[in-house]
Amino acid sequence: MAGVGTAGTDPGATGGGGALGAVSGLLGKLEDGLNIFAAVTIFVLMIGTTISIASRIAGYPITGYLDISEQTIAIFAFLGAAYAQRLGAHIRMELIIGSLPGRLRWAIEALATFAGLCLVIVLIRYSWEFFLNAWQIGDSTVDIEFPTWPAKLLVPIAFSIWALRLGIETLGYLRLTVWPSAEPVAVPLQLTPAQEAEREIREAGIERDDDALVHERETAGREGRK
Amino acid sequence: MNLQALIDGQPEAIFGIGYMNPTEVGILCMGLLLVLVILGVRVVFAAGIVGLVGLVELIGWHGAASAVGQIPFSKSVSFVLGLLPMFILIGYLAFHAGMTRQLFAAARAWIGWVPGGLAVASVFAAAGFAAVSGASVATAAVFSRVAIPEMLEAGYNKRLAAGVVAAAGTLASLIPPSTILVIYAVIVEESVGALLLAGFLPGIFSAVVYAAIIIVWASLHPEAGPPIRGVTWGERFRSLPGLFPIAAVVVIIVSAVYGGWATPTEAGALGAFVVLVVAWINGMRWPSLRAALMETSKLVVMIFSLIWGVLIFGRFLGFSGLPEAFATWILGFDANPYLILGGILMGYVVLGMFMDAIGLLLLTLPVVYPAVIALNGGPDVSAADSAFGLSGGQCSIWFGIIVVKMAEVCLITPPIGLNCFVVNGVRPDIPLTDVFKGIFLFFIADALTILLLILFPQIITWLPDLMFG
Amino acid sequence: NVDGPSVFWKFSVWGNPRAFTAGIEHMAKRLEEETGGNFKVRVFFGEQISKAKENLDGLKAGAFEAAAFCNFYHPGKNPANMVMTMPFLPIPDFDTAWKVRMGLYEHPILKDEMAAWNAMYYVTTNLPQYEFMGKGEPPLKPEDFSGLRVRAGGGVGEAVEKLGAIRQSMPATEVYTAIQRGTIDAESLPYTYAHASYKIHEVADWFTSNMAPGTSDCPVVISKTAWEALPEQYQQLLEDLKPEIREVYKAAYDEADAENLPMFREALTEVVYTDEQLAAFRELGGQPVWDEWVAANKDQFDAQAVLDLVLSLAKGEES
Ligand code: NA
Ligand code: NA
Repeated sequence: MAGVGTAGTDPGATGGGGALGAVSGLLGKLEDGLNIFAAVTIFVLMIGTTISIASRIAGYPITGYLDISEQTIAIFAFLGAAYAQRLGAHIRMELIIGSLPGRLRWAIEALATFAGLCLVIVLIRYSWEFFLNAWQIGDSTVDIEFPTWPAKLLVPIAFSIWALRLGIETLGYLRLTVWPSAEPVAVPLQLTPAQEAEREIREAGIERDDDALVHERETAGREGRK
Repeated sequence: MNLQALIDGQPEAIFGIGYMNPTEVGILCMGLLLVLVILGVRVVFAAGIVGLVGLVELIGWHGAASAVGQIPFSKSVSFVLGLLPMFILIGYLAFHAGMTRQLFAAARAWIGWVPGGLAVASVFAAAGFAAVSGASVATAAVFSRVAIPEMLEAGYNKRLAAGVVAAAGTLASLIPPSTILVIYAVIVEESVGALLLAGFLPGIFSAVVYAAIIIVWASLHPEAGPPIRGVTWGERFRSLPGLFPIAAVVVIIVSAVYGGWATPTEAGALGAFVVLVVAWINGMRWPSLRAALMETSKLVVMIFSLIWGVLIFGRFLGFSGLPEAFATWILGFDANPYLILGGILMGYVVLGMFMDAIGLLLLTLPVVYPAVIALNGGPDVSAADSAFGLSGGQCSIWFGIIVVKMAEVCLITPPIGLNCFVVNGVRPDIPLTDVFKGIFLFFIADALTILLLILFPQIITWLPDLMFG
Repeated sequence: NVDGPSVFWKFSVWGNPRAFTAGIEHMAKRLEEETGGNFKVRVFFGEQISKAKENLDGLKAGAFEAAAFCNFYHPGKNPANMVMTMPFLPIPDFDTAWKVRMGLYEHPILKDEMAAWNAMYYVTTNLPQYEFMGKGEPPLKPEDFSGLRVRAGGGVGEAVEKLGAIRQSMPATEVYTAIQRGTIDAESLPYTYAHASYKIHEVADWFTSNMAPGTSDCPVVISKTAWEALPEQYQQLLEDLKPEIREVYKAAYDEADAENLPMFREALTEVVYTDEQLAAFRELGGQPVWDEWVAANKDQFDAQAVLDLVLSLAKGEES
């Protein structure tokens, strides 16, 4: 259900190609780990909420479940940001940038990624201040007065890793701007709408009907981009 | 740009306008945002950067950066948003729960006898699957796999077979659970439960309009979609038990929202749990569960980023007062309000050609929503005094369903109607051009549906009114 | 009438214009009038420029110059002001409530608490006492609260818990449905205006009118930086406006009561407790909760002194 014009690589296709690829691969392992943690949190939240409903109906509401479950949102709202960046999952409109020729396109990609990096750095600096206020002066949830600083701290942490990913990606695009014919390293692959569709299908757990018809699919993909 | 002022962190440092004329800054930044998004900057970055720049211009560096730094946490960590991962998870797990084939078999057994029977069955099976899936694209993908082969085998027209699946997929966004309705509710601060309930009837209504148009067309061209004959009553009743899990999820979500024994967020978690149990019984194991969770998590972080990114821009819009100015401007037209609404919806058609449904909604609503509410007569207007015959609250829900339906139509229109690409991806033997041609019939149906939803808002407001008075 | 430089303030508040914002709007209007348009305050409603829970953070950041907030949104941000949520404080009427709150704001502990957010108290919105409203059998005596499923926050929640009620938490926007569908039996909200603005009376069977189980506090605060940047005559003008704002609030809540009470009385059973019953409530749910609060906070600040100040202000003694 990702958006039109998202690009992506296959999970794990982060390595290859010199030091940049190696660093990217290493960071990728950390990103995978954080996304797994976020995924597990979603699972635990589902089970926990089911238990909470059951115990409430049985007449024993769990005091403060609402407050705590609300704070756990921070885990899956932020920790996977870098992982999603690596896979090109943050949506954008690809119609124009996807049709630009090599060097110009890589230069714009580098600039856009760098702009994103700048924003994320500002967010790290000032979400840290937001956390610091909650930690030093105080802040709590409404009901059971659970402190909010641990959840607030997740923002600068998750965004720092995101910033590293954006930095690596910027370098990857700059490298391609200088050597447009080089093998792309540490950047998300560009997907045509057709490839994008194919990924959606794969994610839905569906196999294609006929693998022999790859050629026709690619033709269709080119038509779609006109 | 005044560099020294920028370093000192003073307002007006960037455009030299500042709070002297905040709406001017608003329009300027709106244009800048449009340029960045069209250029292909990821929407979260484009919206976040422009929002930050605009805020710096209005209130200076420190206030702007601090305000922006609070938004990711303060806008994401909110109880109702806990619903998003649950709804997305239900969808992913539903594929593994094997519900699709049983639905299609039941729909085929019960309504296959009408002209275009298999296509009509696909529509209703997709509507049923929509009750466990919040994702249009994924729904189109599953039904391409399940319904198209059978239709082609029965001699159906290729275009009809492909078109019906691509279009029926969009039902998933109206019939709850629906991610996009949750997002609308969060952006406009409307009750999530009311919107989910409101989507139910229009979803069914859309399915009925699809079915009607298929039946008419198949009656005129009997060779394109022959009916299915010879299904016994025994077969029909044997197909019903397979629908139980979906019925359970529908009952949980609708009864919780309607009956109030659980909040929508809790109902989402419980629904996901039920689907998980069914999927497990039907043979899903850890590797698939892990994959479903990883995909859910990736999608969740994407949507959350989009939400807070756009809300950074929304915060800037709040300071600029542009939404009020836009509403005043819209009200200044001395035209029929339906005409103005029509103009706004045409704007969605154009933007929707190139944009993803969620991004489209998030980017436009902060400005368009207040204008539509003002057009109707304001947030507290009574039905009798309003332009569209709807109270403020009703109008908010009504416009939500219409705009979501609009955004869904964009999933089936060229040049990048993703549902069509998905159908073509699963069935490479049906060329994309044929899929887009097959869609035409359903595009007409959608236009008709939207017109009827505008003229008969009761289809949308009846169910939520029943509950919220 | 007051000369001075041109000053522009942004004021952050949530929701639509209502009784709660009447004083704020009045302040903005009068400042502009008195300064010939030189001192402008633009009130941003509906959380347009900050989430209500983050208004203190916004003041500290300098994103806007003034705001309202409620103490129970974030007990951790204003632990001393939480004294105003203590159940069964002897605050019977508007005038006492105004006197207690404005007196409390003068105390150094509360001043410092706000100073940490670069904020200073200006006036209180003087939220009225809470009352209960619910569906089903009305709780005619204190014992009837036992087993009742109640949505009540802060000290009021703790008090009814001591009476044997089961506390449930949910966002205020969910309360209507929860009462209607029987998820909870009763809620407590500022009386009468908040019950009416959430339309609870449409789905309830009964309400209490003299229990006065407690209240909370939603002050108007000003950024210290913005205050210090004001010329003296503007500061004086703001001080001079306080009595007017007090009258505006009094009129607004009275007007809400005049409109709502007949409506409540016509459709619902009014529960009025006897003096003995009220004494029983206080004995069970008053002092014990106060003591717990003092004990829980004594390491952070002199909670006993803050509580004593409230009690002496309520009695009419000068601090
Ligand atoms: Na759905
Ligand atoms: Na489209």
